[in-house]
Amino acid sequence: MPRTCQLHPFTVLALAAAVTATTTAAGRWWLSVAVLLACLLLAAWARRARRLAGLAAAILAPAWGSQLLIHGMADTAGGHVLAAAGPLRITAEGLATAGALGLRTGVLVAAGLLCTLLIDRHELIAAVDLSPAPPQLGYLLAATLFLLPALERRQRAIGQAQSLRGATPGGGPRGWFRRVRLRSVPLVLGALQDAADRSAHLAARGFPAAGPHTRLREVQDSAAQRRVRRIALACTVLGPVAVLAPSWMGAA
Amino acid sequence: MSAGQNAVLGLELARFRYAGASRDTLSGISLSLAPGSLTVVLGDSGSGKSTLGAVLAGMLPRHDGDALDATLHLAGQEIRHRPGAAVRIDPVGWARQVGLLPQDARHFLSGVRATVAEELALGLENAGVPRAQMRRRIAALADQLELHELLQRDPAKLSGGQERLVALAALGLDAPAVLVLDEPLAGLDSPAAARIWELLDRLRGGGTALVLLARALDRLAAGADTVLALREGSCHAMDTALPTSAAPVAPAARRAPGAELLLGFSGVGIGYPGSAGPVVQGLDLKVRAGECVGLAGPNGSGKTTVLKAAAGLLRPGAGQVHGSSLAAGTVGLLLQNPSDQLFERTVAREVAFGLPKRGPEVARIPAVLASLGLDGHAQAHPYELPASARRIVALATVLVREPGVLLLDEPTEALDADGLARLHAALAAVLDRGGAVLLATHDEAFMAATAHRVHRMGPAVPAGTGPVAPGRVGEL
Repeated sequence: MPRTCQLHPFTVLALAAAVTATTTAAGRWWLSVAVLLACLLLAAWARRARRLAGLAAAILAPAWGSQLLIHGMADTAGGHVLAAAGPLRITAEGLATAGALGLRTGVLVAAGLLCTLLIDRHELIAAVDLSPAPPQLGYLLAATLFLLPALERRQRAIGQAQSLRGATPGGGPRGWFRRVRLRSVPLVLGALQDAADRSAHLAARGFPAAGPHTRLREVQDSAAQRRVRRIALACTVLGPVAVLAPSWMGAA
Repeated sequence: MSAGQNAVLGLELARFRYAGASRDTLSGISLSLAPGSLTVVLGDSGSGKSTLGAVLAGMLPRHDGDALDATLHLAGQEIRHRPGAAVRIDPVGWARQVGLLPQDARHFLSGVRATVAEELALGLENAGVPRAQMRRRIAALADQLELHELLQRDPAKLSGGQERLVALAALGLDAPAVLVLDEPLAGLDSPAAARIWELLDRLRGGGTALVLLARALDRLAAGADTVLALREGSCHAMDTALPTSAAPVAPAARRAPGAELLLGFSGVGIGYPGSAGPVVQGLDLKVRAGECVGLAGPNGSGKTTVLKAAAGLLRPGAGQVHGSSLAAGTVGLLLQNPSDQLFERTVAREVAFGLPKRGPEVARIPAVLASLGLDGHAQAHPYELPASARRIVALATVLVREPGVLLLDEPTEALDADGLARLHAALAAVLDRGGAVLLATHDEAFMAATAHRVHRMGPAVPAGTGPVAPGRVGEL
């Protein structure tokens, strides 16, 4: 069973924001690597390391590929040319830029994904609902976070119903495309119908709340966590300023 | 009836027509609901019951062309809808006065709460009720409806009957002045139905006016102040006396001694990933050619799970599912919710879905549609049909394959009299050609009229807490 974090969701988000902002501003490869390793360790603690690695790879592979193409293989500014052929020009400086940007992107993606793995989505929505934020924000968050699981359940039901009627898409890429073709239309139509059927009842139950509202669910919080959040938010703003200020002053 | 002076809700409806429709769905309806009254509106599927319920609950007309000519009296206010000049309704304010349980209880549940307790509290949360008060009210309701086991469950993983129970409980918690209930007991086991009836009785005693939308007079209608028959959108007064129903006649056994074993379960245990324990354990059951076997048991006892395992959708964790029909791949399943089974844009395409283009099944489609009374709807979209016809379409998609074993999950839910007759005929046809039927239902009259024997499943109790293991009981 995966573990979820016992911290208040806002504490996790504030810490992630502070780490990401400071690491991005610092632009040190060793710091980025250390943060990436820390993310992986935390994911391993949560028993979701493989999931973090898989999701991060799916997002980062195209991002890193494009950074490598733009900065690493078609660099026009660098002096240390490693190889050149026609429009392609690989330089040491270009590769360093691609690597630095890739690591920063990696930190952003890994920290963001880690938040989704550590935070229970029900806790997050309850935290937003219990905060002074407008109730529509909690509604939007709930609609977004529960859309994918609902679609997943529905496509599974459609798949079962279709397999009962002999529609077995098979394996491999062809099977995958056939499955998408068979399920996508009923999935979208069913989701639209479901949304239309539910919306009147949700509105009748006052969702989203138009005025003062409460939550049955309690979200654990403490004075210490509130202090940590304040410090983390200060670091999010001041960390990059502290890192970048010397270079600004030097430039002036 | 005209709206009485002390009525909590009065309706004088001249006509209602959906946007784009060629005829009125409702016309000439007059209702006056006194506090604590019970009004039963009877009608077949497609008669306009659900539309009337939505009008009473303020969910119709929609502001995209629906035409309503009606005057409502609610909470001391007069609301006049005129075609092209519908009044904009505050859904929350209206729902505080009139609550609606839809025919498909899934539509009532929000889908955004982690536990049943939170789902129950949704309306109270949005009304700003303090947490301590919410807890008290939920605990009291759970005591009354024996819901404690459900409170921490994920609402997305409830059985159909449990969904209905939770939706009804949430409505009871909000305690509006009027409750409109569309088939409130469909899919509920007898104890749950009794608890719901007790709750409704208590609400009625406290002054809540109840409107029951039903297909037939049943025990819920006993004590009704008014019984109205809805035919083609118009109401007609009826005698409130319940019909004296003859005792159901047990079906003649078609099973010959030593008949072929079409489907068998030997020591079968089935669980779901992440669940605390198996849903079904130690199930032994044999279904032979020519017999109809009923599966009975409380909500959540694993009846649907057994049917899905028989259809090959679930793999047993223990034991074996076997039989000649299973080996031949001729097991057909009608799911509890027909919407899960329908995904084409016309009835004809729906029934033809997945069939080999040159196979003998395609040639059977017109005959199957005709036998189920669907030949006139072949080009209609399944979602546009009334609930009863939609279920019959789902049945057609199964019957066209001439299954050796027909599996039915709550097949009578939302079926009107015509649909029920078609279902009975379809079952008889399956048995006559040497097939078998395994059905799960809480409809005791249907069970008595169709099943040759009943396999009773026990409640899903944790191992070691009682003498009855989940899913394991004797046959009657």
